[in-house]
Amino acid sequence: MPSQVQGVLDALVASPPLQAYLIVGAIMFAIGAWGVLVRRNAVVIFMCVELMINGVNLTLVAFADFLPNAGGLGVSYAVLVLAIAAAEIAVGLAIVLAVFRSRRTVNVDEVTSMRG
Amino acid sequence: MTIAFGFLTGMVLVSALGVVISRNVVHSALFMSGSFLGISGFFVMLNAPALAAFQVLIYVGAVTVVILFGIMFTQRPQARRYRTIINRQFWAGLLVATGVGAFLSYVLWIEDWSSTAPGNGPREVSQLGRDLLGVSPGSEIFTLLYQVVSVLLLVAIVAAIVVSRRKVGAGVDRGVEE
Repeated sequence: MPSQVQGVLDALVASPPLQAYLIVGAIMFAIGAWGVLVRRNAVVIFMCVELMINGVNLTLVAFADFLPNAGGLGVSYAVLVLAIAAAEIAVGLAIVLAVFRSRRTVNVDEVTSMRG
Repeated sequence: MTIAFGFLTGMVLVSALGVVISRNVVHSALFMSGSFLGISGFFVMLNAPALAAFQVLIYVGAVTVVILFGIMFTQRPQARRYRTIINRQFWAGLLVATGVGAFLSYVLWIEDWSSTAPGNGPREVSQLGRDLLGVSPGSEIFTLLYQVVSVLLLVAIVAAIVVSRRKVGAGVDRGVEE
């Protein structure tokens, strides 16, 4: 019995494998993609894009920690992605505000003036 | 580690689902910040504590506040039924997203990762700083990327101001009018 208890304790202390992090990132990306596809509010679509970016960031950092020859550079790429995501959210929300000011709506199904 | 991993996984995925299926937009924003907090916990587990701090500062702090401002400026009181917030592609979108997630998970799962081991991340903040500036060997490209990102942030600030500014003499902001 103590050996089984020890086994359970070892399993609880052991660090999770690389696949676990990658799959969490993939599922997060998929949830964000679902939100981008089905929601109508432009602000919520931005939030879902941020979810997708965070899923990819998690994948980058997991690879940086697990791959022996990567030198941890994935973390630096994640910092750059963070900066670009912040810039994207600033410009995107400015555009949403401009659209709302001229059309009184942020529903992406109603902003159809560029539809062919 | 497994307990922390399970807790953070539940937090991230439940919050991410909450962003998509919450009927209140403010609740979506708060769920989003919860999801970002979980991700920063993952960063701590993955030997990137400085990046976790950046994540909390930029995402949980700045981006959530900016999005809440956006919600404050653009939301009208409206009936919050699922038919009004979700378009007709609900099940098709779920199918596509499930397919994408399952395919990615499958590919990542069947790959042989046996030669990898944790612990290679830049746990030292000084190491991360040298990587970002392109000083440490192998990271020379970041000398360029860092400056490109700096210019991009400057351009984004100017663009955000230009796009969202009211035209001179355009009168009362139509969103505030009534």
